[in-house]
Amino acid sequence: MNPDEVKKILLVDDDFDLLEQNKILLESKGFNVITAENSEEGFNLFQKEKPDAAILDLIMEQMDSGFVLSYKIKKTNHGKNIPVFILTSATYETGFKFSASDKEEKEWLKCDGVLIKPVAIDDLIEKLKSFNAQKK
Amino acid sequence: MVKILVIDDEKGIRLGTQRLLEEDGYLVETAENGEQGIRLGTSINFDIIIIDLKMPDYDGLEVLKEIKKAFPNTICFIATAYASYDTAIQSTRLGAFGYIPKPFTPEEFIYQIELGIKQRTLILDAENLKLEREANLLEIASEKSRLNTIIKSIHDGVFVINKSGELVYYNYAAIRYLNLADIKIEIGDSILYKLPLEIIAIIDKILNSDKILLKTYTSQIEILPNNELVIEAACTPVPNPDGSLAGVVIILSNITQFKKIELIKSQFVSMVAHELKTPLAAVQGFINIILDDSISINDEKRKDYLIRSNVRLESLTALVNDLLDISRMEIKTKQREIEDVDIKNIIINTLQLLEFELKKKDLFVDSSIQKKISNIKADYNEITRLFTNLLSNAIKYNKDKGSIFITVNEENNFICIKIKDTGIGLKQEERDKLFNEFYRAKNEKTRGISGTGLGLSIVKKIVESYHGKIEVESVFGYGTTFIIHLPINTN
Repeated sequence: MNPDEVKKILLVDDDFDLLEQNKILLESKGFNVITAENSEEGFNLFQKEKPDAAILDLIMEQMDSGFVLSYKIKKTNHGKNIPVFILTSATYETGFKFSASDKEEKEWLKCDGVLIKPVAIDDLIEKLKSFNAQKK
Repeated sequence: MVKILVIDDEKGIRLGTQRLLEEDGYLVETAENGEQGIRLGTSINFDIIIIDLKMPDYDGLEVLKEIKKAFPNTICFIATAYASYDTAIQSTRLGAFGYIPKPFTPEEFIYQIELGIKQRTLILDAENLKLEREANLLEIASEKSRLNTIIKSIHDGVFVINKSGELVYYNYAAIRYLNLADIKIEIGDSILYKLPLEIIAIIDKILNSDKILLKTYTSQIEILPNNELVIEAACTPVPNPDGSLAGVVIILSNITQFKKIELIKSQFVSMVAHELKTPLAAVQGFINIILDDSISINDEKRKDYLIRSNVRLESLTALVNDLLDISRMEIKTKQREIEDVDIKNIIINTLQLLEFELKKKDLFVDSSIQKKISNIKADYNEITRLFTNLLSNAIKYNKDKGSIFITVNEENNFICIKIKDTGIGLKQEERDKLFNEFYRAKNEKTRGISGTGLGLSIVKKIVESYHGKIEVESVFGYGTTFIIHLPINTN
């Protein structure tokens, strides 16, 4: 599987401005983007649409909503095989220090990577590539 | 002036010696028998007493014994014509200084007296010295115990180690702060290995440096995990009078509270940073899309994005204003302007200022304010801020064509204000967090309502700073009521 095979991306973010911006950016790169504004809606959409990748905002209803949603997605049969990224602007200054860069942390965070807002679209595509390379 | 007593039954001797001694400037008393001699000699502290050995009523040695009992430091001579070795020894044993054989020449007599006076002076000096020393020692001892009591009872921990790392002194606070209460510790113990590594490192540095720098080295140490007990250790070298190193004194201060406040503060700053970043990221995102030539959007979309950017910037401004308010309030509790404040007036003025928002949502306001409401003593601007925040929430979270009910009553020295809206209401879990800084209820119904997440936390701060109370009642989907009790006399 190479990134070209990722066609449908699920975006979940409770900030509808950022949600729309990322949707437009990803669409401009040729992806098909489906969006949800909260965890519950996001999980329902994931099960219904079976996207090829998911990008989840971290702080939504709760401080760790993104991780919880990611955990739920990763537990499904379909979710196991697709890249799931956490999107956040909460980084060092909020006391969070994570990158999902090593295997242990990845296992613990139950996601395949952390993207820092504002997200650079090229960076995201790079991450998708490396995820799929590892899968091979 | 030297005082001398002559005890002799022979009148000639009494008068003769009295004249001799008075010529030399001594003060002389005489007694003509043993009984009189004992009475005088035990009631007045004479310097010298000359006792005749053979008297009709008393034996001279008896008299000597009585006098010595009363004044052990009086110099006594035994005078007698019947000199014998035995009497001499016996009289010395009883405390006589010397033995004057009769008859005697004036020179011999005076010579003996002068020897006696010398001895008396020596004894008195020694006595004074002894008393003085005892007084000094007493003073030193009490000073020491006073210092000890002070150091033992101070809140800070104090302990001192010598050059070999042995414990020289400690107080109980030190034991408590070092969490050593369960270990038996005694003066003279090698204590270093029982101390936290941070303190050992500093002490090592002081003990092993070539010259003594009279400088204090400090370190903050987490004694119990999770910041339950944090101390600051200040280690200072103690020099000997010759300048060489005697040891190290370590003062331990409990800085747990300080650390906790520091943590709360830095968490607050982190949250502020995050809250500031989010709207900035949104604005930047819109601008990037507009500037990106590879993305085609129509004029209508572009305008929409600019309007939405503007909304985010407005909320950013509101957030900065709220933050300034909070910081101002934290300073202001000390410098607020307290005056008579008419709550009814403030509510009416605030509603006027919010009229545009009220009309936009077509809201109905029903206010029932008790006729006679006492003024409260408060800062006008703070109370205005309180009602602005509550009423603008009642508008923002209301449904279109909804209502706001305001009632103001005075009861038991409190003004009770209820503000009820017919808006979206709160879920239980939202209600619990409502007054937290940066908390905003996030659900499908709050989408698109802007706010900083600080409004109600400011409200709560104001109410509590006047010793008031705020409660919230709510049914999700049907509306929320805020009930505020403010004391009339805020003092």
